[in-house]
Amino acid sequence: MAQDSVGLSSDYQFWIQKLSVWKQASTLETQQDTCLYLPQFQEFLRQMYEALKEMDSNTVIERFPTIGQLLAKTCRNPFILAYDESQKILIWCLCCLINKDPQNSGESQLNSWTRGLLSRILAAFRSDIKEVDLFTQGLGYAPADYYPGLLKNMVLSLVSELRENHLNGFNTQSRMAPERVRSLSRVCVPLVTLPDFEPLVEALLTYHGQEPQEVLWPEFFGAVNEAFLLKKICLPVSAVLCLWLRHLPSLEKAVLHLFEKLVSSERNCLRRIECFMKDSLLPEAACHPAIFRVVDEMFRYALLETEGAPEVLAAMQVFTRCFVEALEKENQQPKFALKTYFPYASPSLVMVLLQRPKDIPQGLWHRPLKRISEMLKEIVEDETQGSSGGPFENWFLLAHFGGWADIAAEQLLTSVGDAEPPEALLWLLAFSSSPGDGPQQRAQTMVEVKAVLSHLGRLLRSPTLSAGNLLAAAEESREGDPRPPACQQLTRRLLLNFLLWAPGGRAMARDVITLMARTDEIMHEIVGFLDQTLYRWDHLGVDAPGSRKLARELLAELRGQA
Amino acid sequence: MDSLLQQLERFSEVLAVSRTTHVSTWDAATVRRALQWARYLRHVHRRFGRHARIRKALERRLQNQWKQEGGSGPAPALGLTNFQALGHCDLLLSLRLLANRALGDAAFHYLLQELFPGPGVPGAEEGTLQGSLALLARRRAAVHMLRSSAYRENPVLQEDSLMKTQAELLLERLQEVGEAHAEGPGRFLSRLWEHLPHNNFLKVTAAALLLPPSSPRHQEEESELGNPRRAGERGRELLHWLLGKSEVIVAFCRNLPAGLLTSVAGRHPEVSRVYLGLLTDWGRHLHYDLQKGIWIGTESQDVPWEELYGRFQSLCQAPPPLKDEVLTTLKSCKAQDGDFEVPGLSIWTDLLLALESGA
Repeated sequence: MAQDSVGLSSDYQFWIQKLSVWKQASTLETQQDTCLYLPQFQEFLRQMYEALKEMDSNTVIERFPTIGQLLAKTCRNPFILAYDESQKILIWCLCCLINKDPQNSGESQLNSWTRGLLSRILAAFRSDIKEVDLFTQGLGYAPADYYPGLLKNMVLSLVSELRENHLNGFNTQSRMAPERVRSLSRVCVPLVTLPDFEPLVEALLTYHGQEPQEVLWPEFFGAVNEAFLLKKICLPVSAVLCLWLRHLPSLEKAVLHLFEKLVSSERNCLRRIECFMKDSLLPEAACHPAIFRVVDEMFRYALLETEGAPEVLAAMQVFTRCFVEALEKENQQPKFALKTYFPYASPSLVMVLLQRPKDIPQGLWHRPLKRISEMLKEIVEDETQGSSGGPFENWFLLAHFGGWADIAAEQLLTSVGDAEPPEALLWLLAFSSSPGDGPQQRAQTMVEVKAVLSHLGRLLRSPTLSAGNLLAAAEESREGDPRPPACQQLTRRLLLNFLLWAPGGRAMARDVITLMARTDEIMHEIVGFLDQTLYRWDHLGVDAPGSRKLARELLAELRGQA
Repeated sequence: MDSLLQQLERFSEVLAVSRTTHVSTWDAATVRRALQWARYLRHVHRRFGRHARIRKALERRLQNQWKQEGGSGPAPALGLTNFQALGHCDLLLSLRLLANRALGDAAFHYLLQELFPGPGVPGAEEGTLQGSLALLARRRAAVHMLRSSAYRENPVLQEDSLMKTQAELLLERLQEVGEAHAEGPGRFLSRLWEHLPHNNFLKVTAAALLLPPSSPRHQEEESELGNPRRAGERGRELLHWLLGKSEVIVAFCRNLPAGLLTSVAGRHPEVSRVYLGLLTDWGRHLHYDLQKGIWIGTESQDVPWEELYGRFQSLCQAPPPLKDEVLTTLKSCKAQDGDFEVPGLSIWTDLLLALESGA
């Protein structure tokens, strides 16, 4: 408490000075500076109120002899009065100064002075035009009656001026001068969250002058973005798109905001992640390549920073899915070439990856898989081909459409024991699980996978199928050496697929998983796998009631344990 | 029902007293009761908003009171003039008490506690008095900021926000007065004309006559309330009064800017007929000064040639029916005057020539 009041006192001095400099915020500089400090000042007012409400008015004056100046100056700064909840907190502070039963003239004086300030904020409004006052009073209206209407008319008038500007841009007569637009955007900073201002905010965002430089004030974008992210305003997608295209920091903040939400939400729940994604409007906005590239770049950094954390990977896949969906909804005839979204990738590869498995009969899935694998292999292993990026770039591209690699794993498992597993699928799996491997290591991984598959196939037909056997089949490497971690993860995934698809596997799924989940990390991996699989099946409309039921039950059980 | 009407009557009295010095006798308990009343009536408003019979009864009672209040000033001092007003009667009462310096310290202290309970009080946000008062303060600051920075008065008067708002308020009030008084809003308008600055009053009247047939603000409320009257109809009554008062219509046609009058005349044929009549009348007062070679008036109140020409020119720029009407009038005046084609003999010939060369 003592610490707090020391902090408050030093802040107090700082703000008294600021308020004196700002005066009535009537110049460009003071407006600019006021806007910069609005949230901080509101926080200070809040702390001030918390301190004041514990004291009687005499103690307040003793502790803060200049409180009157502070509050009176605040009352004269329209930017502060207009911002968020500042006017309300200021009123609370003033209420603390009112003495219920003044004992001497000094106390009465203070009461009267405080009431004057309260009136100033609330009641005694006089517009600066005498005739208007006379007229409204003559009609018997109080300011409270016509304020909303007046503000609405003013906003609409400005909106139509901006629109006209927009339409007859070169007609200098009707044009709103750029300085005026700029000043309007500055005035809007504290007001963006006032519902009456929504049409004006939208008109400003979609307004483009003839000037080569940005006319709107950067803080305006910042304030709108902040309000949008905190859901304090509703804006149409088109306006949000303009905001993000015009102000890169706002876009970056929006993506980071989404990331933060994903990180703090429940782990391994793609349904919820999808809701967050759509709610953020980012997938829709990403239909504009410039926005897609920024978002994508940030996903790339997130992947690099987390060394390919499965959660980030899964989130990126959901994002891509939502983005593709939005793209299809938005334009039957694409406005932008695919190349503009994925400039470093081979266009034909992007085309194949973009195909939706849902649109292809399940029996033919092996065809696109084979193509994807071959194309990737050709690009990755041909070192002379520089134009389409290195292994990481191509893996990053594949990772967007990670569903294909999952389908590859499923295909291998559903046909286990029937025939030799196709090389193309093996390669695709090996590449997607460890893109940094050289050809030799990758061949090694393929051999391991093949061995696991054939082992599982043999077990399926043998009478000695047991949880222990199954786990051993997946975990014991062919030569007895421990496998690299990526390869271990891959074989775990194969085993999990086996448990869901093979009838014999389903019966002992619970036992195998209990044996398998030795660490929290692996437990999360299993939960993630089940969640992603169910999410993917839902979207593909995979009809496998037995597998689906089991996966759902397992997911519920494991979530309960985790 | 009777008790409800009584409550309404008593509260109206409280509201009327709330802005007088009588509140100096109020204590905390009086303030509490007054606020409770207001809250109760707000609840009534919410509860019976769609209940036509009760609404009608309440509205009739409000209007009776208004009528009784009688002819002291132009304005209904009461504040509660229609059913809608019940929806924010607590806000109205609060603002009056906050601004009334006669209210004692203890009562004022109590009022503040009631109005601003502070943060963290359940339901203390939107929809409560604290929320509405803060919103009002915020809107007030917003209007101030817009006016002092980016906002400009619109040169097209009827599109100016301040004018438009005043015009909307005028029509709104006219409707209420019309319902309260059998003789329509004529007496009310005449009283306004006597008490308010004429220039602004005329401008607002013009803006009101030019409001779109149903401005969105009213449309919303009316469709919700099942009230069939539109801004256009309320405008009729205003027009009727305007045309019936020769002093006012002359001032209207004489003092308002040419462009504004052209718009009003274009919308209301009745106005265009009277306006053209006045213009030709004014024209007849001018005679040709041979030495100077111009048309001049004999008396100071005569309309100068330049102004007459300006008004006709503006009318001729209006879309067809009005423009044709104006030209027909001018030509028939010219014919009556002998149909001369030489300048300096008939003002109508000269006006037509000037308009042709100016067009």
